[in-house]
Amino acid sequence: MATPNAPASMYRAEEGVGLWEHRGKVCAVGVGHSPTARRWDGRPDTTVGAISLLALRRAIADAGVAPEDIDGLVMDPVTTTGAYWEAGKPIPEDIVGAYQRTDDPLDGLAKLSAEWILKNMPELANVKFTMYGPGCMSNAICVAAQAVGDGLAHTCLVLKSWHNFEGRYYQGGANAGAALPGSAALRALWGAPACYGTALQFAEYCRKYGKSHDMMAPFIENSRQNGLKFPEGYWAQHRPEEITPEDYNAARWIAKPANLFDNDLPIMVSAAYLYTTAERAKDMRQKPVYILNHAASRTRPRSLTPTLDEVEEDTARTARKIYEGAGITADDLSFENMYDGFTLFHQFHIEGLGYRGMKFGEALDFYQGDIGIDGPNPILPSGGNIGCGRSRFWMHTDCIQQLQQRAGARQVTGVRPEVAVSGGPMPLGGHYTVWSASPD
Amino acid sequence: MAKQGVVPDDLTRPFWEAANDNRLVIQNCAACDRLQHPPAPRCHACGSDGQLEWKEMSGRGTIYNYGVVHDCPVRLLQEDQPFNVAVVMLDEDPGIQMYSHLPGTPVDDVPVGAAVAVTFEATANGQKVPEWQVVEA
Amino acid sequence: MILLSFDIDGTLTVGDPPGILEMELVREAKRRGCLVGSCSDRPISAQRAIWRDHEIEVDFTVSKHMLPDVKAQFEADVYYHIGDREDLDKRPAEQAGFEFLWPHEAATAPWLS
Repeated sequence: MATPNAPASMYRAEEGVGLWEHRGKVCAVGVGHSPTARRWDGRPDTTVGAISLLALRRAIADAGVAPEDIDGLVMDPVTTTGAYWEAGKPIPEDIVGAYQRTDDPLDGLAKLSAEWILKNMPELANVKFTMYGPGCMSNAICVAAQAVGDGLAHTCLVLKSWHNFEGRYYQGGANAGAALPGSAALRALWGAPACYGTALQFAEYCRKYGKSHDMMAPFIENSRQNGLKFPEGYWAQHRPEEITPEDYNAARWIAKPANLFDNDLPIMVSAAYLYTTAERAKDMRQKPVYILNHAASRTRPRSLTPTLDEVEEDTARTARKIYEGAGITADDLSFENMYDGFTLFHQFHIEGLGYRGMKFGEALDFYQGDIGIDGPNPILPSGGNIGCGRSRFWMHTDCIQQLQQRAGARQVTGVRPEVAVSGGPMPLGGHYTVWSASPD
Repeated sequence: MAKQGVVPDDLTRPFWEAANDNRLVIQNCAACDRLQHPPAPRCHACGSDGQLEWKEMSGRGTIYNYGVVHDCPVRLLQEDQPFNVAVVMLDEDPGIQMYSHLPGTPVDDVPVGAAVAVTFEATANGQKVPEWQVVEA
Repeated sequence: MILLSFDIDGTLTVGDPPGILEMELVREAKRRGCLVGSCSDRPISAQRAIWRDHEIEVDFTVSKHMLPDVKAQFEADVYYHIGDREDLDKRPAEQAGFEFLWPHEAATAPWLS
């Protein structure tokens, strides 16, 4: 049977619905990451399918559970936003044939189904529940938390993987064609890159609040420094390069006012978490990290691209949902780990949260202060996509590891790691999780 | 700038046919009298799917915002980068946005807030598309 | 005077992905009196570190869009940019008034002849 997408009812997208009914009763206990690579190198043991198997097995081992005890799998079947398998390009039979196949010849190579995973992990013999949380890890973990809370699974793996191929991201597919379908053309004819919408909002933000692009430099520098302390990350593994303010301010524009370092680097990577009930977590190897709430935004912009007003209204609404369901306030946050790929919207997330009492228009001034992991006001201790490469999950892994006190060189020391929030991607339409070192 | 061609689909055909006729039309929900763009199979405000119509616009608007594209994913446009991509708000409803290369406006010298008027230019396959030019004060 | 601007990733062997041009080629050009440097999407601080690690004293390290600044700063008879991308190397190099060479064309050091 085909794996279904999670129904809308599994996401907490409404305001005024009170505490999450499973608050503190669902935990993350295991983390597994694959190695990173800039692009697929053409070998069977480095396909997106192969690295997913590796991440899943590492998460299982990390949690210390027996594979036969696992009864659920939640994942995102899409493994790219812009690396295309060229139409007509032959499928490498020796590569896909190295694994158990599904009916889709690109499964495990340029996409990933739950069916493919289960065919290739025979040790997961008792998985009865599979579901897709499409979009990114932020979506999938909301679905997994709800599924475990609802009793659809008691020991559930959550997976998100990314592939990347030769060639420049986004430059194949429709962007290389001579004509576009009418609906797509209404947005795509003008050739704006992916960061354009965020660049627009940032431009409006700067005009409204009197800020400038160079004020982002400390955030970028901090993100990369934190990312270089993330051994699972691309930059730490392959190119331990800092981004200094001079580097940032000298970078070329992609869509002004978004420059090269406001964009993240597409990579190959996979991560898996093991979710379970608080009761079962007691017997597992790692300290449980309790989920206090998950929340979602379903807001769509009125027209082509969100205005700053729409962004600010929605991030404030999202924060109310986050806090209401978790039964916390902004004052309870030890740190924030909101999404950053693109960097120029991170401030929208944290201003909406009111992190450290922040109001709209104040984040860039906040960035000029102490935002490091050793201080009282950590900003994005994971380093995010800028610090680690494009995955959209570093912030979740970091929240789990920080609250388990095993973030290594990245461990926050200026605050006690008790409660944290992570999520994204975009301010409109994002998905968020509130994590806690204790169940209440 | 030579834009990619357009192959109208069922949802957007009236928009593109009007453009070939040098007219700008926007989808409107007769049930709640609300414009929406991009067009959709149902009204995002009231949910109606039976009373969507196409309404002709004056072709007047205002530049709301802009960015300058230096690294364009569309091959056909890469020869022309850097170029402006502006967001125009329609006079009839500032909530309705359209993109524009602002032909005639120098790169990164975009007068945000300035009045613009619609023009129509041919894409690579001859299909016309609404574009916008700054109106001299 | 000859000025040589090298892209890094996909061009030099130290790049990510590695290109075909050895650092020795750059070192030799420098020995022969050419002005040499890098023009890359790498952070400028990372470019400097690469040259420092290979003990090559370069004349400039700039971001990808800054070839016009290089031309304005240095007087030379001929300006070359060597890179592996049509859109990010060849086109901007030619727009900036540089001769453009693909890595395989540069491998024989045609500037020496």
